[in-house]
Amino acid sequence: MSGEVAPALSTAQTDDTFQFDQFQSEETKQRSYLKKHDPANKNEVRQLLRDYYSIDELIEFLQGKFKKITLQFPDSLVCDSSYVVQMLQEGLIPDENNSIDAGLDDGKKHGGHCATCTDCSCGKTEKERKTTKSQKIDKYEVWVLADTSYSPCCVDEVAAEHIGADVVVHFGDSCLTPVQKLPSVYVFGKPQLDINVLTSKFEEQYQDTEENILLMSDTSYSYILKPVYDELKIKYRNLAYAEAYNEEKSIKIINYDFEKQKQKEGIRFGNRLLTGLHSEDIDINDEDELNSLLQTYSLFHITLPEPSRLLFLTTKFSSMVVYDPKACTINNGPFSSLMRRYRYMHVARTAGTVGILVNTLSLDNTKKMVNIVAKWIKDADKKYYMFVVGKPNVAKLANFDAIDVWCILGCGQGGIIIDETSEYFKPIITPYELHLALSPEVSWTGKWVTGFKDIIKLAEDNDDDDDDDFVNSGDEGKMSDEDYAPEFSAVTGKYVSNSRPLRQINHLQIELNPDATKTDNNDDDGGDGKPVSGNQLVKKFSQTVAIKGTVSTSAIHLQSRQWTGLGSDFKDDENYDEDGATIEEGRSGVARGYDHNNKSHII
Amino acid sequence: MVAFTIEEIRSLMDVVTNVRNMSVIAHVDHGKSTLTDSLVQKAGIISAAKAGEARFTDTRKDEQERGITIKSTAISLYAEMGEEDVKEIKQKTEGNKFLINLIDSPGHVDFSSEVTAALRVTDGALVVVDCVEGVCVQTETVLRQSLGERIKPVVIINKVDRALLELQVTKEDLYQSFARTVESVNVIIATYTDKAVGDLQVYPDQGTVAFGSGLHGWAFTVRQFATRYAKKFGVDREKMMKRLWGDSFFNPKTKKWAKKEKDEKGKQLERAFNMFVLDPIFRLFTAIMNYKKEEIPALLEKLDIVLKGAEKELEGKALLKTVMRKFLPAADALLEMIVIHLPSPVTAQNYRAELLYEGPADDESCIAIKNCDPKADLMLYVSKMVPTSDKGRFYAFGRVFAGTVRSGLKVRIQGPNYVPGKKDDLFIKAIQRTVLMMGRFVEQIDDCPAGNIVGLVGIDQFLLKSGTLTTNENAHNLKVMKFSVSPVVEVAVEVKNANDLPKLVEGLKRLSKSDPCVVTSISPSGEHIVACTGELHLEICLSDLQNDHAGVPLKISPPVVSYRETVREKSSMTALAKSPNKHNRIYLEASPIDEELALAIESGKVNPRDDFKARARIMADEYGWEVTDARKIWCFGPDGTGSNLVVDQTKAVQYLSEIKDSVVAGWQWVTKEGPLFGENMRSIRANIMDVTLHADAIHRGAGQIMPTMRRAAYASILLAEPRIQEPVFLVEIQCPENAVGGIYSVLARKRGQVISEEQRPGTPMFNVQAYLPVNESFGFTTDLRQATGGQAFPQMVFHHWSIIDDDPSDASTKSGTIVLEGRKRRGMKEVVPGYEEYYDKL
Repeated sequence: MSGEVAPALSTAQTDDTFQFDQFQSEETKQRSYLKKHDPANKNEVRQLLRDYYSIDELIEFLQGKFKKITLQFPDSLVCDSSYVVQMLQEGLIPDENNSIDAGLDDGKKHGGHCATCTDCSCGKTEKERKTTKSQKIDKYEVWVLADTSYSPCCVDEVAAEHIGADVVVHFGDSCLTPVQKLPSVYVFGKPQLDINVLTSKFEEQYQDTEENILLMSDTSYSYILKPVYDELKIKYRNLAYAEAYNEEKSIKIINYDFEKQKQKEGIRFGNRLLTGLHSEDIDINDEDELNSLLQTYSLFHITLPEPSRLLFLTTKFSSMVVYDPKACTINNGPFSSLMRRYRYMHVARTAGTVGILVNTLSLDNTKKMVNIVAKWIKDADKKYYMFVVGKPNVAKLANFDAIDVWCILGCGQGGIIIDETSEYFKPIITPYELHLALSPEVSWTGKWVTGFKDIIKLAEDNDDDDDDDFVNSGDEGKMSDEDYAPEFSAVTGKYVSNSRPLRQINHLQIELNPDATKTDNNDDDGGDGKPVSGNQLVKKFSQTVAIKGTVSTSAIHLQSRQWTGLGSDFKDDENYDEDGATIEEGRSGVARGYDHNNKSHII
Repeated sequence: MVAFTIEEIRSLMDVVTNVRNMSVIAHVDHGKSTLTDSLVQKAGIISAAKAGEARFTDTRKDEQERGITIKSTAISLYAEMGEEDVKEIKQKTEGNKFLINLIDSPGHVDFSSEVTAALRVTDGALVVVDCVEGVCVQTETVLRQSLGERIKPVVIINKVDRALLELQVTKEDLYQSFARTVESVNVIIATYTDKAVGDLQVYPDQGTVAFGSGLHGWAFTVRQFATRYAKKFGVDREKMMKRLWGDSFFNPKTKKWAKKEKDEKGKQLERAFNMFVLDPIFRLFTAIMNYKKEEIPALLEKLDIVLKGAEKELEGKALLKTVMRKFLPAADALLEMIVIHLPSPVTAQNYRAELLYEGPADDESCIAIKNCDPKADLMLYVSKMVPTSDKGRFYAFGRVFAGTVRSGLKVRIQGPNYVPGKKDDLFIKAIQRTVLMMGRFVEQIDDCPAGNIVGLVGIDQFLLKSGTLTTNENAHNLKVMKFSVSPVVEVAVEVKNANDLPKLVEGLKRLSKSDPCVVTSISPSGEHIVACTGELHLEICLSDLQNDHAGVPLKISPPVVSYRETVREKSSMTALAKSPNKHNRIYLEASPIDEELALAIESGKVNPRDDFKARARIMADEYGWEVTDARKIWCFGPDGTGSNLVVDQTKAVQYLSEIKDSVVAGWQWVTKEGPLFGENMRSIRANIMDVTLHADAIHRGAGQIMPTMRRAAYASILLAEPRIQEPVFLVEIQCPENAVGGIYSVLARKRGQVISEEQRPGTPMFNVQAYLPVNESFGFTTDLRQATGGQAFPQMVFHHWSIIDDDPSDASTKSGTIVLEGRKRRGMKEVVPGYEEYYDKL
């Protein structure tokens, strides 16, 4: 033994072993959405951007109304933020002759971190903001919100509230979901698009000029729909288009006029107004009728929508074609299918632990929704854990391996993770799918419902129906100390015994209560092992682990791990020594810099 | 009129030495159910007239209609033996009353899993062989299985009437045919016998082979004739038995026995078997079938056969049947073989215990099984579920190996994944009722002691297909059954009416329960999949699902084959994957595992649950692994049991054991969905060459390691010449010579590969064996019928996985098209990703 060299790490861990990947900024700098691809100088860029974002109209709208202005850009447009801020500063000053502070909270600085550590923008930058704020107080303050933690299509109310903003200006594609606490202004931008190429591609795609076709685009390209429609309508009789639309008074869209459209005849479809339909279809009010009408239409969508919106649209229309304005190509799919999610729904049926992943804080009814989902899960005797994770990704979710299925609460347009390449360790489903999964009878509607309102309505309807909805059958003739029957998982074709971990909770209460009263004389404590003393944290029952009177599936999971802590790995070694080695003082400090590192630096 | 009462049976259960648990096994259409009828008739459950036609143990409607057995059916019979016979029994017995628990099993290869389930709960097997067709592929399969479970066989050569009536063979020809059949059975037995049980070969002169006709209800053993002649010749019966088989000749002139077929003068002597055994039978056949009315009475009198009333009026075949049945009742011959030669549970469990039990051989449960102790803690194996008349409920059908099971007894129900000390797959529940399975009926009994077969009510919700029941907290599981067949043919099912969905899901559950082998699942693309062993199995399962279990109209996709993903070479370079936070790295190399070892893992010979040191020893001794490597196997996958291994080859990596759980979880994930087209992987060994981990635990958690392991595994596989494996059937076709050409042409068209072609001696029939990819087997039977004018009927059984050796990423190759099709079906991107997609640069 003595001759052996002390174990060393097989790979040297020097500083350059783990270097961060350099941030790839080439792509974002290109600004392919501008009319001219490679502007010669900054001034030209400025001019293009001024036009692109309709800065003049924006200034006109903001002027004199709001003091603290926050700007929210999606990741792809953040590169323009400095120009926009500058232009706003210049545009807003002349009125007052005061200098404006630009609290540039640059998301780029933390770009490398953001993939892994959550919420770095909110924690750290807050301080920076405060310091700058205390120095100068002027009339206009323009802030750029750092990368949005949740869906970029929604207005990040929470971030804006951190500085007590008066208004949020949202740039780029948007879901137009109403924001309650703050007035919001939307700037869609005017991305460049060659209508001639588009129409020729369109005609190539649709040979049959009688076909029912609906034109749609993300909100940025909305401005182009009308001209395209006008041009194609001549040839295609049954063409219609969907304009971005929102009734809410609090929403202002720069350079995009709703009032005009309101007078037009159209049917409302989410945040779009279907215009140019046949006159006989316009009276449709019923949702079912609308759905069956849409099923007769093919959808021509300019730009590839966010995955969950794409999924939503595929369920609504008979066929779908996506036009990529950058490459000027047409994509016929196949797009992600809803049937994959049917499997996830079945996984959820036999999942014991559900992770509620809150992926929005600003949507209406988020709190209510969380409560409803939590109640559903509890009523189904399943365990839930709640998570708020900024920018969830594979690694972040895989850290919680006790979770069997995730239920994500987020914006229907960009806040729902659609795992198309099955990268995620556990499936991610929506509250609607969870609702289907937890109902006693399997059902599958083929719908993709993401709106919180719809689901809350669903939940309320259900409450009226009956409260015993989730009562499990199949345990007739069961005596109190017998186990519940396992459930059949259609996914694996096997029985799953831990699909309802909380079912034992009644047991626990029965078993725990006598203990609580008998703390003084606990000499005969039933058959189930040792009595619970006050300071015992975890109690093991025949089937389950309880912490403070509730079942902890996470603790159960931890107990099933092979690695149970230091020493557990070499317990089975032949020359294992009970006594172990002598304790030595290790290093201390935090990962950023251990004490011995610091010392060595000092030396 | 039932000749026994349930009470009698129940009281016999306690006399374990007089219990015989046996299954009837054979190739399809060799006459298992028909022969079983003779025994059932003997017990008085069906009338003599019906025996041979009723097929009492074919309880389902489609079984009766199609004339094949689909499910194995159990029945308990009561028998009394003569004093003489009882004396012959070489094991301990009490009295002359016996209880026979018989299980009739299906013969079609697609239902082999039913046979496996039957064999597990029995100790002996009655192997039925068609006298004309001889030993067929399924005869071999079931025999091999029974020997693997240490089950003692006895043989009956059936359908002798066909040889006599249709083929008109001579006595010597018939003897030769018998002898050949017995020999080929013995060849199989010798090959697969476990040394621990001793000699299990069958010998006609020891009475372990019978000859007869199930349809006509007659059968005999040499022993029976020996008994008759022993008195006449005044010799010992045992001696007589030896003389009545083999090269033993009788010289009628000298009244001497001889070993040579010619006497001193060179005159041909008649073989004793032909002279004493076959001669009376031949004479009866000729007399009756040639309507030689005058000869018949004399013959009958000589043979002590008395006809009553109406029977005297019979003629031809009907008369022959009646006479033969009186002369040589099949049940007598069978019972004699069963009772004398098959082991009692006490005898059998003594040598089967170590094979049945997963735990150590010296633990109390194992000892209780060994002793077949009815007073010990309960050890009961549920081998299958039998549907009750109550829809959706099942009897748990199984064997009590130790202890006594009674209604109201609270038992621990341990599913197949139960590990002692853990709580997975463990339930506690009281048994509601215990019943005796009697074909299509059940009889209630209060309790059932060790050594018997029993049906249980009230635990069906806890076990899907099989499992262990015990009252001992420390008991390990009884070994999980391994099937010789594999569910490689799949279809997607879908309801026609969306409202029927709940019924479909419930139906799939019931289907999974009711069949030991069928697997239902949901594919990644969201389809309900039913996987079966072959086309017939699929047909039966789907019709059951549609008409019975779900009871709703279904849309059924055309069948597809399930493939496996594997690698052909070692990874061309070490695959590296970095964790999402770039702070951890896994270096992985994939290489193929020898087919032998993969099979050993799949058959349970190399078991993930075994002690790792013992397992490493086996792997080193038999499969050429380095002991050090074998000891460092981290896991098997998928499902912790498959033939894909992760081997730790690192040296002195700090914190390594901390990430083991994450790596294992990653591997289970990966092996279920391969990189090529999301199929299960097979026989891949992943060597962890090196790991770099961040010094802080928080940065090397599951979220960092699991996706990294997946990427590294995919990259290493894509770097190691990935291939797909397709399942291949062994096809056996029997046909006349003129049809052989047709068979060849069909096989050639279907990528088939003939492995043997031989004429069955003494018959015009040819036996062709070939390998046929399952993928090509759809419609094979129909094509074959067309090509041969309906003269050839194939039997197909899963045989092995075969690598398609071309590049699956090239869509123009065979495997490329399969992969492409699979990817489309699963809604994946059509192009197989390159390793670069998963490989991280340093």
